Amino acid sequence: MKNILTIISKEFARFFKDRRLVLGTLLLPGLLIFLLYTLMGSVLYDDSHTYTVKAVHLSPTFAQIFAAEEGEEPSVRFEEIAASEAEAAKEEILAGNCDALIVFPEDFDAILAGGSYAPPGGENTPNVQIWYDASSGNSSSVYSLMRSALDTLEDNISNRFDVNSPAAGGGSLTSGEEAAASFYAQLMPFLILTLLFSGCMGVAPESIAGEKERGTIATLMVTPVKRSELVVGKVVSLSVISALSAISSFIGTFLSMPKLMGGNIGDLFAAYSAWEYLALFAVMLSAVLLIVSLISILSSLAKSVKEATTYSVPLMIVVMLVGLSSMLFTTSVPAAHLIPIFNCVQVMSAIFAGNFSAVNLLIALGSNLVYIVLLVFALARMFKSERIMFNR
Amino acid sequence: MQEIIRAEDIRKTFHLSRKQRQIERSKTGKKVALDGLSFTAYEGEIYGLLGPNGAGKTTMLRILSTLISADSGEAFVAGHSVSREPDKVRASIGFLTGELKLEDFFTPDYLFGFFGRLHGLPEEGIRARKEELFRKFGIDAYAQVKVADLSTGMKQKVSLVISIIHDPSVIIFDEPTNGLDVLTAKVVTDFLLELKGQGKSIILSTHIFSLVEKLCDRVGVIIGGRMAAEGTLDEVRGGKSMEDAFFDIYKREVTGK
Repeated sequence: MKNILTIISKEFARFFKDRRLVLGTLLLPGLLIFLLYTLMGSVLYDDSHTYTVKAVHLSPTFAQIFAAEEGEEPSVRFEEIAASEAEAAKEEILAGNCDALIVFPEDFDAILAGGSYAPPGGENTPNVQIWYDASSGNSSSVYSLMRSALDTLEDNISNRFDVNSPAAGGGSLTSGEEAAASFYAQLMPFLILTLLFSGCMGVAPESIAGEKERGTIATLMVTPVKRSELVVGKVVSLSVISALSAISSFIGTFLSMPKLMGGNIGDLFAAYSAWEYLALFAVMLSAVLLIVSLISILSSLAKSVKEATTYSVPLMIVVMLVGLSSMLFTTSVPAAHLIPIFNCVQVMSAIFAGNFSAVNLLIALGSNLVYIVLLVFALARMFKSERIMFNR
Repeated sequence: MQEIIRAEDIRKTFHLSRKQRQIERSKTGKKVALDGLSFTAYEGEIYGLLGPNGAGKTTMLRILSTLISADSGEAFVAGHSVSREPDKVRASIGFLTGELKLEDFFTPDYLFGFFGRLHGLPEEGIRARKEELFRKFGIDAYAQVKVADLSTGMKQKVSLVISIIHDPSVIIFDEPTNGLDVLTAKVVTDFLLELKGQGKSIILSTHIFSLVEKLCDRVGVIIGGRMAAEGTLDEVRGGKSMEDAFFDIYKREVTGK
């Protein structure tokens, strides 16, 4: 036990005394994820922008759709122009001075009020032209807005029935919170597994294949420390560091996800109980140990860090594919929770969906513990093999 | 005299990788490194394994230090079997080879403490031993400098003191002066004689004849994985210089004359 602690303290010293490693593995992933997702969310849900649209024969009915509430800025500001100015307006769109040009038929409101059926693509079918710049985000967005508004107008004038009208009822049987939980249940296991794997990949190959490559592991092997103590010390310290890296990424994801989805951080904090967070932590920890053990085995087989990284790529693909499984299906069958990694995905998915079973959690944690012990045992055997440890 | 190391009919064959097969021009994919090697080293003596590159010297020392195992045969170090009691063997030996490296990131001070704890030394014992060895080898001034920033000679000195941190009774050095400047090489050879004076048993491998003549009490000449000649320094030399004696032995082994 004393030797294991000595190995762990050395691995920690190697990591925590190296500012670049700490910055690159612990701080930057979480910070970058938070900034990136927050930025994406800000852009996606930015409704403060006012689009400028030039309009020929502007329809009052159409313009009314974009009319702002009192005291608010309109989302689209229309500037009426003459038909002869249309070509100049197109140049302005390309120059970025205006977002779009919409050209209505002269009698557009009369068509809305009493027009007859006009077959799509027909010779005499009235046409609304929308000119925009597909390479510009704002121009494309306002095009989509106006297109959608025109489709709604068209639906309204030919309406025969409503679907889920507020007065008559109909709609989702689950609440908004439940719908959000379902979304997180599908997405989060994949994200968490990917982050955990990245954390492990950042440290495990360096610690084992790197030491083999540099010849420093042989120095440890001529001390009285047992191979099993060496392996346990390495796996435990790597797991802690990987878990810290994963937690950093997780915090970044967790804090930025509501923003990315257009919600609030508080909604997510309030959605789960302390017991559910504890269960999530236990599953993440078992996943980290499992992944670290697997990457350590591949690193032991490799002659260099580069080779270890190459060996780990197929494993990463498998883990990510398994992570995606929660988007396709979920299962509460206890036997399915014996499958490593898949069981972590299923339990995490159930936790986020708010319907996880304690039995399945215990089966997953118990079976993972058995796999981890077997993998550590195999790793200790590999550390005893001269063909594996001295295959430089 | 009490025997401290005994090797009995040690055989070791390496399986070559595809790349190594091309280099060695081997059709079998195997290389016999040791072919029934036997020898005995006695307590308080310096035993030298002399031979050309690829003769099997390093392989024998790696087996004695438990880094690798023999295919057959048995070896004992300080009364412990290297195959059955590797932990006890490792606790009894100090092993130094160019193959063993120190982590560049750490300082000699940190590494000394780390390896001291792995050898089960108490903190007070580590401190006292560090003071003694660092002063002797002039490492004090560099104790807080990262290994990466040390010169080759200083790195070798740090490796040396770390290998003997636990005051082992048996010291196994593979090519102890290889790659060292003359000053550091002198420090190492003088220290080996000092260790011998303290009653330590030393086995070293080398292909430097002068080193054998200066240090060794007994010599084993290995050629092609076999013991071509063994005995006291005078017995092996047979009245000649070590260099002349070696080439006579080599010629006899290779040509059969």
